[in-house]
Order: sequence, then C-alpha cells, then structure tokens
Amino acid sequence: MSDQLTRPSSKRKILPVGHYRGLGLWNAAFLIFLYMPIAVLIFYSFNDNRMVMIWSGFSIDWYIKAFNNVAIQDAVLNSLIVAFFATVISTAIATIGALVLARGGNFRGKTMSLGLITLPLMVPEIVTAVAMLIFFAAIGINWGLGNVIIAHVTFCIPFAFMPIRARLEGMDTSMEQASRDLYASEWETFRYITVPLLMPGIIAGAMLAFVISMDDFIITLMVSGAGSTTLPVYIYSMIRRGLTPEINAVSTLLLLFSITIVTAYWIVSNKTRTETVH
Amino acid sequence: MATAAINIHGVSKVYNPGSPQAVQALDTVSLTIHDNEFFTLLGPSGCGKTTLLRLIAGFEQVTGGEILLFEEGIENLEPSQRPVNTVFQHYALFPHMTVAQNVAYGLERLKKPKDEIRLTVDRVLSLVKLTELANRRPSQMSGGQQQRVALARALAPSPKVLLLDEPLSALDLKLRQAMREELKQLQKETGITFVFVTHDQEEALAMSDRIAVMSNGEVQQIGSPTEIYEHPVNRFVADFIGDTNFIDGEIISVKDDLVSCRISANTVFEAEDSGNHKPGDQVTLFLRPEKITLTSDAQIVNGESHAGKVTNIIYLGNQALLSVDLGNDIELTAQTRPREDGNLPFAVGDSLLVEFSKRALRVLAK
Repeated sequence: MSDQLTRPSSKRKILPVGHYRGLGLWNAAFLIFLYMPIAVLIFYSFNDNRMVMIWSGFSIDWYIKAFNNVAIQDAVLNSLIVAFFATVISTAIATIGALVLARGGNFRGKTMSLGLITLPLMVPEIVTAVAMLIFFAAIGINWGLGNVIIAHVTFCIPFAFMPIRARLEGMDTSMEQASRDLYASEWETFRYITVPLLMPGIIAGAMLAFVISMDDFIITLMVSGAGSTTLPVYIYSMIRRGLTPEINAVSTLLLLFSITIVTAYWIVSNKTRTETVH
Repeated sequence: MATAAINIHGVSKVYNPGSPQAVQALDTVSLTIHDNEFFTLLGPSGCGKTTLLRLIAGFEQVTGGEILLFEEGIENLEPSQRPVNTVFQHYALFPHMTVAQNVAYGLERLKKPKDEIRLTVDRVLSLVKLTELANRRPSQMSGGQQQRVALARALAPSPKVLLLDEPLSALDLKLRQAMREELKQLQKETGITFVFVTHDQEEALAMSDRIAVMSNGEVQQIGSPTEIYEHPVNRFVADFIGDTNFIDGEIISVKDDLVSCRISANTVFEAEDSGNHKPGDQVTLFLRPEKITLTSDAQIVNGESHAGKVTNIIYLGNQALLSVDLGNDIELTAQTRPREDGNLPFAVGDSLLVEFSKRALRVLAK
C-alpha cells in the first residue's frame, strides 16, 4: 500500500539521466570533442620523429631537450617570477578589498566598488591588453618584467577576490564578537580569529591567481618586452619557427603544473566546505 | 540589601536613528540586577531583551541613559575592556581551535601566566564535565557539548557578570531540561551573576531568582517567578506566562480588597483587587486554569459554584485542558488530571460544576 503510494513520486525525483536513450553516446562524443586534442598533444610529445604528426616510435628525448633548452628555462623562470609576485600582490589587495566590502559596514559607493573589482572579468582581454600597452607607453614605464607583473596584478585581483569574499560572507561575525568579548584587542581578533578563519579563502584565491597568471598570453604578449618573455609567449614563438614535439613536451608539462595547482585548490576549498564555520 | 551588579538607568536604544528604518528597540528601561543573582530577561522576540544584553556586553552603544557595572560607568569601555563574558546563542566557538584552546583564549588575551591558564582551563573543563574532550575540535562535538564549551570559555576568565543569550534554544527538549538544572547549579557554585535572555517562560520560571518581563522595548514587570506568575501586573504578563482565563467585567462594589464584578447581565464574580478600583471601573479578571476545581456530582450549589458544560478537551498526557461553557457567553479553560486508570473524568458534552476561590480570581489593571 505505502509502497504503491511512494513509488511514483520517488521515481519522478531520482529519474536517472540514463533513462534518455542515446544520451551516453552524446556524452562520449562531447568528452572526445573536449579532450581529444589534449590527448593527441600529450601522445605526440613522446614521438621520436622530428615531425610532430608522423609517429615513428616512443621516446622522452623531447622532454630532455626541453629541459636543457636555456630559452625555455628563462621563460619558465620569468613565468614563475611574474606569477609569484602577481599572486602575492593581488591576493593582498583582494584580501583588503574583501574585508572592507564584507566587514566595513555600509558606505557610499559600496555597490560600485564591488562592481569595479569584478569588472575586469567581463572586459575583453584584448581591450585590457591594448589599454595596458598604450598606458605603459604613455607614462614611459619600461621596467621589463615589472610591467608584466603590474599588468598581471590587475587582472588577477578579481580572481583572488572572489573566493576570499565568498569565505568572508559565509563567516559569522559572532566569532569576532566573541573574541572581543574575551578581552582581545581588534588587532588580536584579526590575527587570531579573522585571518585563520579566512585562510582557506586566501589560499584558494592565491592559487587561482597563480594559475591565471601562469597561463596568460594576450596581455603578456602586449606588455612584455625583450628579455621578459614568459612561457606561454615563448611557446607561441616556437610554433612560428616550426612545429616539433618539443612544443608538445613543454605544453604537457605546463598542463601537468596547472592540473596540480587546480587540484590543490579543489582540495582546499572542499576541506573548507566540510569544515563549515557555524 | 544585596549590592547591585548592574544598574540600568533610563536606557534607550534606537537603531538607525534619523533614518526611515529607525527602530526603537529599548524605551527608557530602568532595572537593577543584584550581585550573585540569576536574573532573566524574558519576552517575545523583538521585545528588546537581546539588545539590552548586547548593550551590557558593549556590542551596541546606548542612545540614552546609562549602564553601571558595580557602580562604575562602562559607556566608554570597549567590549574587550568590560569584565563581563557572553555565551552566544549559536555558541560562536572558534572552529580552528581545540576545546582547551577555546577555553584558554580569554585568559591568554588577559596575559595570565601559562601555569595559571593551564590550571584554570582544567578546573573549568571539569566544572562542565568536558575534561576528556579537551583536545577535540568543536565540529567533532554534539550540540550539548558545544554548549558546555561555550559556557566554559565564558566562565574561564572569572567574569563579574555572565551574559547568556538564549543559550538553550538550539538544544532538544530533554537536553534543555537537563541544562537548566546544570546552569542553575553552576551559578550557585561560581557565585557569578548570571543575566539570562530567553523567550521560554518555563525556562525562566525554573531557573531564575528574579525575572524581568519585557515587551515592545519596555520592562513590564520585575519580580520573583512566583510574583510574576501569581501576581502579574498587567494583561501582557498574565498572558505571556502560563495559560490564563481573562474575564472582562465592570466593578459594582468594593469591600476592603475584594470587589464584586458584573460579568454579564445575571453573573457577578467576587475577586481580589490589588489596585485601587472603584465602582463603575471596567476591568479584566484573570484566573489560572489549575485554580479551578471541577466536580461532576450534583452537590449543593454554593455561592462560588457555577454550572457548566464541557465543549472541548485538549489532552496533554499528565493533564488535560477543558473548555467549559458557563452560559451567558462565559467560557473558561480549566485543568484536570487523568484518573488512575488513565481515563479523563470528563467527556465533551458532560455537565459539571465549576468552583474557584474568590482569592484565585484577581483584577488586572486595564
């Protein structure tokens, strides 16, 4: 009796998508469309042949070659320097911004500030790139890597800002009040309560900023002068000189690096979710 | 006369003053909380009880009036400078610290010596029976245990006054009842003044030395649980605490502290009057359901008995509430207990006699 009553409703609720015929096939086709090019790229990075698309045997020579390529080493170093500074500076600015917007009470232009911080996400990258290029030229700044770092800081801020703000919004102010109630000064409350509770958001924001900075191409191409070539820009220049599996090898390594960081980000934010602040 | 722990003189609080969303949360509230007292602020949500607690803690600033803590003004003191601690409604435990670290937090901020902190944490944790869980995180504990951690954390710095903001509201019934006794016990053991905020009248009656009943930002009555329950000063207090019958009528004669009150064309009740009413006054009488005696056999109808008919029964297990129609548009709620065999002595439709002492019927100011 009760079985008959509950069955139709529960069936409606948890109808598996497999119920639709042919969906599995669509799904497979879609995944192939997404990941086949990357799989091919990785596959041919182990190609013995000089020509990328002609398979003649397995080898890791191109990885060894890429590792020994001084120009690639320089580009990787540049990328790491830029990403490091861009991450530290943009995360610091994003943290301060998030604190003001989430804890600063109501002030004039609050909504506008929030909009302006996240706006760079919507501005076409080429527009930002050209604007940066013209701006640096106009005020005569030519600091090499410095220019690249400044440019990266600007577009990393919104990426760092979002997880930090999300974390802050989810944080109950009663914890900070409890700290004040227990004889902590404002600074002690910030140091012992706010920052530790905010840390997962800050780490998530920093990792997001790092990944975004590492693989940026358009803006970097515009603002980087000679000697400040980053890895994505260098890969692009390699392609123009002719395709060898060395490009595949470098790209695969870059991919591996990104996956590592994004996985770390996912683990941190997942840990945050299970350890919810009450 | 006990010394005053907290003096509240004409305190008002307006949120968002001068704006269209201005809210008067407290309106010239004055009351005194004695040292070593379990004092309860009782009222429905929005009555201003939590606001008053937050003013004492220092999370809000008074709009008018002043608050004295042991005779000293605390207006210009930050929350961190006030020798009071709060137990928050949702505990507000620090999730990144262990239980012991939570409890030690206040002592560390006060720069107490390490040895003293360790001893105090041990002592307070044993007081709330959490010694074994000292190294757990709050997220690994049940609601009742978290509640005890919050208590221990607030008690550890030995505050002069402990403020409790509806701390039992998130617990289930059984646990809540057990915690009532523990809180009362804890207050006696520590000798710290407790200011307890709640909307639960049963909680207030069970634990408090004195209760302040609040409504609409004003104190309606301050008194012991018995005074509040037996001698409410107005209709709000009588209605908020327990079940009550209200009977409207007009006073026709006064004799000492007894008045005769016309309830309807041919019904006159005698009642006790604490105020100074005179013939012609429109008043409300109140009568607790448990003060009414119900009898089924047709005994002699004396002056204080009234014939009635049962119109409805609400069964509550250990007791039942009966609606009894006395005719002339008068209906009373009366309390009865099940007989030994578990059956109720009355059923809907039964005729019975209603009796109550004229001392149980009291006049409320209108």
